[in-house]
Amino acid sequence: MNIEKKIEDGRLSVRVDGRLDTNTSPELESELKNMEVQNFKEVVFEFTNLEYISSAGLRVLMSVQKALMAGGGKVKIINPNAMVKGVFDMTGLSGIFEIA
Amino acid sequence: MKKRLIIIATVALWVALIAITWSIGTGQAKKRTEAMLEYALSDIRVTIDGAINTMMEHLAVACMRRIGKADLYSREEVDQIAKIFDIDELNIADKRGKIISTNDPDCLNVDMTLKEETRPFTALTNGVTKVVAQPFRRHAYANSRRKYLGVPFPGGEGYIQIGLDESRMKSMIGSQFRFLFDSEMGDTVCYLCAEETSGKLVSAFLEDGEETTLEDIGFDFGNVPEGDGIFEETLLGRKAYCRSFSFAGHRIMVIEPEAEFYETRDRIVEVMTILLAFVLGAFALMLIRITGDSERIKIFYRKEEESRAKEMDIAKTIQSSALPAGIPDNHFTRIHASMTPARDVGGDFYDYFLLDSNHGAFLVADVSGKGITAALYMMTAKTIIKDTILSERDLSTAITKVNADLSRHNPANMFLTAWIGILDFETGIVEFVNAGHNPPIAVKKKGGEIKTGWIKEKSGPMLAFMEGVKYKSHILQLAPGEAIFLYTDGVTEAMDAKGELFGEERLLKTFSVLKSCEPKKICTLVQAATAAFTAGASAADDITVLAVEYISKPNRLVRSFQTTPQGLAAASAFLDECFAREGFFDLKDEKLLPSLHIILDEIASNIVKHSGANWFEVNIELLGHPNGVKLLFIDDGKAYDPLLHLDPDTTLGVEKRPIGGLGILMVKKMSDSLVYFRERNRNFLSVKKFVLDEAKK
Repeated sequence: MNIEKKIEDGRLSVRVDGRLDTNTSPELESELKNMEVQNFKEVVFEFTNLEYISSAGLRVLMSVQKALMAGGGKVKIINPNAMVKGVFDMTGLSGIFEIA
Repeated sequence: MKKRLIIIATVALWVALIAITWSIGTGQAKKRTEAMLEYALSDIRVTIDGAINTMMEHLAVACMRRIGKADLYSREEVDQIAKIFDIDELNIADKRGKIISTNDPDCLNVDMTLKEETRPFTALTNGVTKVVAQPFRRHAYANSRRKYLGVPFPGGEGYIQIGLDESRMKSMIGSQFRFLFDSEMGDTVCYLCAEETSGKLVSAFLEDGEETTLEDIGFDFGNVPEGDGIFEETLLGRKAYCRSFSFAGHRIMVIEPEAEFYETRDRIVEVMTILLAFVLGAFALMLIRITGDSERIKIFYRKEEESRAKEMDIAKTIQSSALPAGIPDNHFTRIHASMTPARDVGGDFYDYFLLDSNHGAFLVADVSGKGITAALYMMTAKTIIKDTILSERDLSTAITKVNADLSRHNPANMFLTAWIGILDFETGIVEFVNAGHNPPIAVKKKGGEIKTGWIKEKSGPMLAFMEGVKYKSHILQLAPGEAIFLYTDGVTEAMDAKGELFGEERLLKTFSVLKSCEPKKICTLVQAATAAFTAGASAADDITVLAVEYISKPNRLVRSFQTTPQGLAAASAFLDECFAREGFFDLKDEKLLPSLHIILDEIASNIVKHSGANWFEVNIELLGHPNGVKLLFIDDGKAYDPLLHLDPDTTLGVEKRPIGGLGILMVKKMSDSLVYFRERNRNFLSVKKFVLDEAKK
């Protein structure tokens, strides 16, 4: 897994390549913790090159969403592949995150 | 029902017998009463006669003494003496019996020896006879009935004869002789005497003597017949049977009260009633017990039959519940088995189960005996065999242990024959032990043609028969597409109407028409052949058939991992490694691998984090028809069936959404088949995912 972060206009962009599963999720989680996501009004995940996401990865996304909600912020998912989109759909999370 | 009939019949018989006794008793009583009255009647006659005789003898002797001797006296002289003694007729006869003096001129000079009626008096001249008396009788020369009595002069020198008229007795009956009739109306024969014209009672009939006429005691004189016959009368309110006769202007009666009349009969009836009640009662009780016994015996047999049928039902249930429902899915063997229980359930059973992902065991056995005992022993045997084979991987050792176990706990002296095989999916080698069972048939292929042959190697005696026997195993090689057919003696000993057995020869011949080694076809073929042979006759024994076909060796990789994050990562890498191999690589579905990764991640992370297992094993296997991949997870953690996990509510908002449970939900949604089972303290979770478009859910 490879993670790239970018900050512009109070918005945090996180690009995740590879696989987001039990093995890799802790790494993403600690990266985001360091960024203090609650201070952003929007966190954008760029999933173009994400192969798949397991429940461990979903858990990270959900904790970010919870952190942002206090300050009125939101999570946005950009360009997931069919596999990843399918996971969001089957878990009912496509109604919670903004997916584009 | 029968009991009631017996009671009714007995009571009816009892009543009938009492009625007969009563009627016989009544007849007897009548005869007896007639005899009693006859006797009493003549008795009173004799008594009256005797009393009058005594009275007349005194009179005659006094008269004789007054006259002194037999001599000639004038009629006046004689009449004077007769008047003194109040005699109606007085005759004096000489030594030769000729009346020489008399007060009746008609009698003078009558020779007493000439006439029959007077001749008895001649005895008075013999010097011995003291008195001659005659009863009252009607005489041609007298107006009324007259009685004569004669006494001799001393030395028999002639005699005197006195005659008294019956009418003269009239006053005597009421005075001198009334004591003769003094009796009371009681329970035995009594007498009664009354004046014929006035009905005045001569005798006292009651103690207080108040009743003076027949009417007073309820006697209707008009009822009394003229003659001598028996008649009924009610006296003093009591029914009585009577006879009567007239004497000296009086009616003299003998009376038998009805109480007396029926006393004997009533006593007999009374005794008979009680006696018969006892005898018939005892008889009826005996009958009831006998019929009750036969009824009870019938019920006993019916109940016996019912409980036997019930027992057989139970045995059947035990037997069928003991049979395996299905072998956990695998793509290397096909198994089909069937057992048709006999009417008297035998102890047939079969079993098949996976030892691990590479070995499957299958067996057919036949427990001696029938019914519940056999069925229960079958359960024990089946459990022991399976447990021992699962824990002891060497088959010959396992069966030796099974035999030791079964022999040790065998109070009913049961035994069983069994054929047990273990198929190695990788090699197609079947290792087997035959414990006294019928030889199976190997169904092989040579040049595309099916060849059958007996597997006759014997490994040992029947199980549970002898403790301490060591069993040896043998080996048989199956090529993909070949099969083994197992059966019990219910097949070879199936009997036709003529009593001929199906036999091994016919069994083997059955296979000549076989086109494929598909287990279900083999079993159906044999079942149809035995059914046709027995032609519907009910089977004496269970008929069990089992066929195992070896399909192909598996294309799979197995690896064990530690329950650590490193182990988890290694498992993920193992999946990638598999997909680089031949076969896996060819699967054209780009979603397959990421889906399997997610599935593996969810299940393996669950095992690592929550199961407490020390290790976990992942089997990755290529499936054909339809194409797909099977992931088999095995771990030694605590029992956990993820299928029982409740799905989280995916419609809730993020703030309410529980974090857990999503993983299992995803596995369920992404897999095509998910099977969990636990064996030997291990969790087995098999997940299948087929290639898209080849198999839709």
